[in-house]
Amino acid sequence: MTQAEIKLCSLLLQEHFGEIVDKIGTHLIRTGSQPLRAIVHGTGTSLDQVKKALCVLIQHNLVTYQIHKRGIVEYEAHCSRILRILRYPRYIYTAKTLYSDTGELIVEELLLNGKMTMSAVVKKVADRLTETMEDGKTMDYAEVSSTFCRLADTHFVQRCPLVPDPPESAEAQPPPPAPTLSINEKDMYLVPKLNLIGKGKRRRSSDDDAAGEPRPKRPKQTAESKEPMPDDGIYWQANLDRFHQHFRDQSIVNAVANRMDQTSSEIVRTMLRMSEITTSSGAPFTQPLSSNEIFRSLPVGYNISKQVLDQYLTLLADDPLEFVGKSGDSGGGMYVINLHKALASLAMATLESIVQERFGSRCARIFRLVLRKKHLEQKQVEDFAMIPAKEAKDMLYKLLSENLISLQEIPKTPDHAPSRTFYLYTVNSLSAARMLLRRCYKSIANLIERRQFETRENKRLLEKSQRVEAILASMQATGAEEAQLQEIEEMITAPERQQLESLKRNVNKLDASEIQVDETIFVLESYAESTMKRS
Amino acid sequence: MAEVKVKAQPPDADPVEIENRIIELCHQFPHGITDQVIQNEMPHIEAQQRAMAINRLLSMGQLDLLRSNTGLLYRIKESQNTGKMKGSDNQEKLVYQIIEDAGNKGIWSRDIRYKSNLPLTEINKILKNLESKKLIKAVKSVAASKKKVYMLYNLQPDRSVTGGAWYSDQDFESEFVEVLNQQCFKFLQSKAETARESKQNPMIQRNSSFASSHEVWKYICELGISKVELSMEDIETILNTLIYDGKVEMTIIAAKEGTVGSVDGHMKLYRAVSPIIQPTGLVRAPCGLCPVFDDCHEGGEISPSNCVYMTEWLEF
Repeated sequence: MTQAEIKLCSLLLQEHFGEIVDKIGTHLIRTGSQPLRAIVHGTGTSLDQVKKALCVLIQHNLVTYQIHKRGIVEYEAHCSRILRILRYPRYIYTAKTLYSDTGELIVEELLLNGKMTMSAVVKKVADRLTETMEDGKTMDYAEVSSTFCRLADTHFVQRCPLVPDPPESAEAQPPPPAPTLSINEKDMYLVPKLNLIGKGKRRRSSDDDAAGEPRPKRPKQTAESKEPMPDDGIYWQANLDRFHQHFRDQSIVNAVANRMDQTSSEIVRTMLRMSEITTSSGAPFTQPLSSNEIFRSLPVGYNISKQVLDQYLTLLADDPLEFVGKSGDSGGGMYVINLHKALASLAMATLESIVQERFGSRCARIFRLVLRKKHLEQKQVEDFAMIPAKEAKDMLYKLLSENLISLQEIPKTPDHAPSRTFYLYTVNSLSAARMLLRRCYKSIANLIERRQFETRENKRLLEKSQRVEAILASMQATGAEEAQLQEIEEMITAPERQQLESLKRNVNKLDASEIQVDETIFVLESYAESTMKRS
Repeated sequence: MAEVKVKAQPPDADPVEIENRIIELCHQFPHGITDQVIQNEMPHIEAQQRAMAINRLLSMGQLDLLRSNTGLLYRIKESQNTGKMKGSDNQEKLVYQIIEDAGNKGIWSRDIRYKSNLPLTEINKILKNLESKKLIKAVKSVAASKKKVYMLYNLQPDRSVTGGAWYSDQDFESEFVEVLNQQCFKFLQSKAETARESKQNPMIQRNSSFASSHEVWKYICELGISKVELSMEDIETILNTLIYDGKVEMTIIAAKEGTVGSVDGHMKLYRAVSPIIQPTGLVRAPCGLCPVFDDCHEGGEISPSNCVYMTEWLEF
């Protein structure tokens, strides 16, 4: 856990869960896995508060526990999981594109609450959707349930590990200090058979609603909450790995679309969709798919003939990008997608883009040159890149000082005399990717800090505007005159209004920027993971 | 009178006569004559007289002394050289000889010193002398800019010294390379555009978006933007820089010997491509491009709260 990561986790925990959780969480990240007493001692907070903070963290899957020998339970925080909090908006947006508003709200509820039962999710989402709909219309539970089932079928949500049923033996064993949770692989996406009947309810029981409707529903609601739900104990969480797989597929398809044309990218998208469930997320290659299968699975709108499809597949397999490879000839040609190579190309393109924006296009040329040729001498760099010697030297040293390029010495004589050694420039992609990853973490931490600073600076103004809004709302509710409302509104002067506007704009911009840097983090992290798994 | 004939050559004590005879002999055998030949021709002359005559001719610069595997050779020197060399002494002639032998690659002053075993000061004086007489010239080498190589005045310096088409007067022509770079890229881009718009089946579309290095070379020659004659290898180095710019990709296909533009049985095809990703997220934030990134932390001189770059960026 690098300093930058720890700082970022601390900021995220503070923003989403508060000071105490932040303290406990940071302590756990710094010190590794600790028993309860050690946490209390180390952070200096009371036992009660530590327990509550740990509850919050465990509920959100940020901390896990384990029983060690001698019966001590130790808690461990997962730094990488905490960093995923940054990506929540992207997950929610993906769910929205795939399953529209219903899916969006389901995933949002699951992410914000950590773990929930299906019935609770369905009820809440139906209520929220009903509020946004027009008067008189309500959201049916059945629709929400069906969307939930679809999310489970495509593995976007999964069941949390459960306490296994106690064995039937009559021996009264003392309960273990902490329950061990386990879940069967095939049960993970099994939706319980629930008979959820009902409709969403509006929160506001204003008189404008259809008379009589809210009132009979209210007693029914309280009656319902007294019965235990049939799926009590079966909790669901969002399956982040699946979302990551989806993001990875999306970037591959975009890359193919940029390099070739729309049709090729659609074919690649089909192939990836077919291997969604069959290939594990860490595999370097997808399962081989035959050209006949691909032809059958193409989306309905695409009516290209079989020969054209074959031609496209051949072109994809021959492309220098090497995303698609041909692994056999049965079934009209078996094709695989080379996931590791695709991730590596995307990561290298990211590195090159960063070098280009930071240092200029000539430096980018030198960087790409050394990346492709692996090891080069100074003279060779000048010759290949067609850049004058003095400038090339300058650029190479600048890249060297930023640790994006490194030197490899090859001595000619045993005494390593500098005049008789070869000095070769080379790019170590994994370490360069890791270094840039650290820079990304620090950048996001900076952006969050700046956002908090901006909000703090204008706190007075924000409080004033909130007060004015509250006054306006209450006056409108009690039926005030137009003139009075106008007067209240003028309490906020025009320059103050402008300041508020610019504050809102700045905060939005900083937020958006955080999400964009997170995209870079995703590409670099996937590449690092995939490379580590291979070696 | 036969007696007179037998006694054909009265002992010619006249050194001038001897010299003239030797010169005639040399003219007869332009490749050079050995001492033996002279001896055969003029058997009555003593060795000493012969030697004196040869020395005189050498010092006058009319004869060249060469060493061959059979012994020493004497050769008549070209007449115009004798005119040039008038007034020069032996050392200068030696140095001139060495420079002449170096051909169009030229020779460095230190090498001249090794070959002639003359001290440095002498060499410098002689070189200055020869330069003022416009017999030799100094050419700056492109590899090491301080090094000067000398070659005969009327010779064209070799490519390795001047650096070829990309260098003019020892200066790397960056603008020229840039212009060529852009022209090649535009050509390939327009080819890809027309191929994409033709909307035929994908194989044909892709194949027509390729251009071989020969085609590009012809196009550039026809454009006529280059004053220097460019070869196909030159164009290939330019296309390689485009590959390193990420704008072009290359494939090699096997081609029959004899098809236009094929080298050793294969051809290089180039195609303009667009980058596979948009500029990445990190560089859209000011922190990605910040030059003082490592000095920045909360509470310090440079911190996110008072960052000037962020303030400017937020005002866009």
